[in-house]
Amino acid sequence: MAEQPAFTLTIDQNKYLPLDGREVHAVLTIGSTGTATTHAAPAEAAEVIIIDTSGSMSGEKIREARQAAVTAVRTLRDGVHFAVVAGTAAARVVFPRGDAGLVPANPATRAEAERAVNQLLAHGGTAMGEWLKLAGSLLTSRPSAIRHALLMTDGQNNERAGEFDAVLRQWSGTFVCDSLGIGADWVPAELRKVADAMLGTFDYVRDQGDLPEYFRRLTQASMSKTVAELSLRVWVPQAARLRFVKQVSPTLLDLTGKRTDVNPLTGEYPTGSWGAEEREYHLCVEVPPGQIGQEIRAGWVKLVRPDTQEVVASGNVLAQWTDDLAQSTQINRKVAHYTGQAELHELIQEGLGARAMGDVDTATARLAKARELAAESGREDTARLLEKVVEVDPVTGTARLRNQVDKTDVLELDTGSVRTSRLRKEGS
Amino acid sequence: MAGCPVCEAPVLAGESYCEACGHALGAPACVSCGAAAVDAEGYCERCGLRQPTGRDHAETVLACGAAAVTDRGLRRPRNEDAVALLQAGGAVVAVVCDGVGSSPRADEASAAAAETAAAALARGASQAEAFELAARAVAKLATSVDDAPACTYVAAVAEGGTVTLGWAGDTRAYWLPRSSPAATPLTADDAVETGELTAWLGADAGEVRPRVRTLAPREPGLLLVCSDGLWRYLDGYAFPASGTPVEMARELLRHALDAGGQDNVTIALIPLGEVHG
Repeated sequence: MAEQPAFTLTIDQNKYLPLDGREVHAVLTIGSTGTATTHAAPAEAAEVIIIDTSGSMSGEKIREARQAAVTAVRTLRDGVHFAVVAGTAAARVVFPRGDAGLVPANPATRAEAERAVNQLLAHGGTAMGEWLKLAGSLLTSRPSAIRHALLMTDGQNNERAGEFDAVLRQWSGTFVCDSLGIGADWVPAELRKVADAMLGTFDYVRDQGDLPEYFRRLTQASMSKTVAELSLRVWVPQAARLRFVKQVSPTLLDLTGKRTDVNPLTGEYPTGSWGAEEREYHLCVEVPPGQIGQEIRAGWVKLVRPDTQEVVASGNVLAQWTDDLAQSTQINRKVAHYTGQAELHELIQEGLGARAMGDVDTATARLAKARELAAESGREDTARLLEKVVEVDPVTGTARLRNQVDKTDVLELDTGSVRTSRLRKEGS
Repeated sequence: MAGCPVCEAPVLAGESYCEACGHALGAPACVSCGAAAVDAEGYCERCGLRQPTGRDHAETVLACGAAAVTDRGLRRPRNEDAVALLQAGGAVVAVVCDGVGSSPRADEASAAAAETAAAALARGASQAEAFELAARAVAKLATSVDDAPACTYVAAVAEGGTVTLGWAGDTRAYWLPRSSPAATPLTADDAVETGELTAWLGADAGEVRPRVRTLAPREPGLLLVCSDGLWRYLDGYAFPASGTPVEMARELLRHALDAGGQDNVTIALIPLGEVHG
């Protein structure tokens, strides 16, 4: 077993509330130190590569998916237990042959897996839930491994929404799944669902030549994990309500709905596996009215290993009522920053949604506002993509949607909006 | 069968921990919600309230009748005033210090200053010596000039009809003659007109010498030593004409709280010239 990294938890907030103040906001920064991960032996890892081979993938898309899968197989390091799954209306293991489960990667197994991938043809239906179920059961055969799946698809799912959601609920937290959109017309909606439920990412690689680099980054991120699973355990006072818990950095991920009750005052939220990294979470607690001068602990946050119940870091979110407006009206910089980043994400999603529905007025208003916010908050890449979708007259300030828009720009905007920028250090 | 004060799961008599949530049973009770759930950090594990500390309100009464009251007031999160009142032979010593609100850990500064100075004065140290020791104790709390706890200071020693005073900052002493409801100020603040202090104790205060004064009141009365949480409300106030020093101190506190209680309030009263109560 690899040596465990040490965790730090710091809380940024303005604890002062006005007399009628009920909402406490705080940003938790959780960091794990890298020393243990760089020198320790690599943790055991398990990987399932899933390729969409449904009818909608035929033609250029299946060639693209095959190439992506081959690249993914080549980047597996020796010793990683892996399998390749092909998905249609059902799911089947195309590598390894027989009933071997997961096998360790080495030059021979990687070459055999490559051959199997190159023979894949696209035909049949799509039931993503079935694919994830098979990946899940393969991965659970290695319970002490960092478990990861990689899904390559055009996102067109023909499964009943209820069935798909049930699978996501059942397997959520048991492994992490990252998805890669294939083709210029893939649908982000289903992949966003998978990313949210399986605590992963979904992405789109515009240039095929960038695929090896993309997999290297993903694999590196996945292989650098040393702690399989950590939960955020949050206590709030009896008369209070935890309004939301969101991961806000490096990507936006709403954890509010993933609560498991520990006791009436405490809930646990999964955060997935950890390596040497830093993440930030925004939480909001609605507290009962208080009296001037009174201080309460509005939230008690603990980072816990669910298997051993060990608390690896903890901190207090406080609230104190004051009639000094200079104190209570200040908004903490980090809280303000991530509130803005979440708003930007919502504006882009609403704007693109309205644009797809043909609601030009809403789309123009949301995307123009998003463009302004992106520029203000230093999201230059996002601002540039928005610029390609909506144009604003520099003199009159009038916004209108552009007629000629590259589909891939819209996809990139859609998938990229969950990534947040970090707050620059004060003074730099 | 009783319930766990935090998670309400049933617990058996004699158990030290709740089986369901691990809460340590038999913890102190919360002053607000009543749950036996106050943890080591001083927060209630049910309603979250930070428990008032011993300094939020404290009273001291000496055998000779001298009394002191200190209170958080209504608007401050904690009490950063400190008072030490003690008897040493025929002398009564009172020291009141007020933590400077803009400094870190101001409550530690005032506590260190009041304790150190009172102990020195009780040993017979002069006002200047006691001040010097207190100043050093406060300066030691600092980790740097930018992290320097600070407080104001007033010390009184009453012995055989004579009073000596030493002070720095805007904590004050007054003389309350038995014959009149008006108070005579005995100290002058080290502060500019807008209230900013010009002298205080702390690592960032530079070389500070106390102002010292000796007086011998000719008629009976009370020596009042107090922080600005009281004296800011004394303009035109008629002092109570009767009662023991502790009753009068409580009365003065009530007045300060009724008038707004903006700051911490600390009051020490030493009777002179006759036996009170």
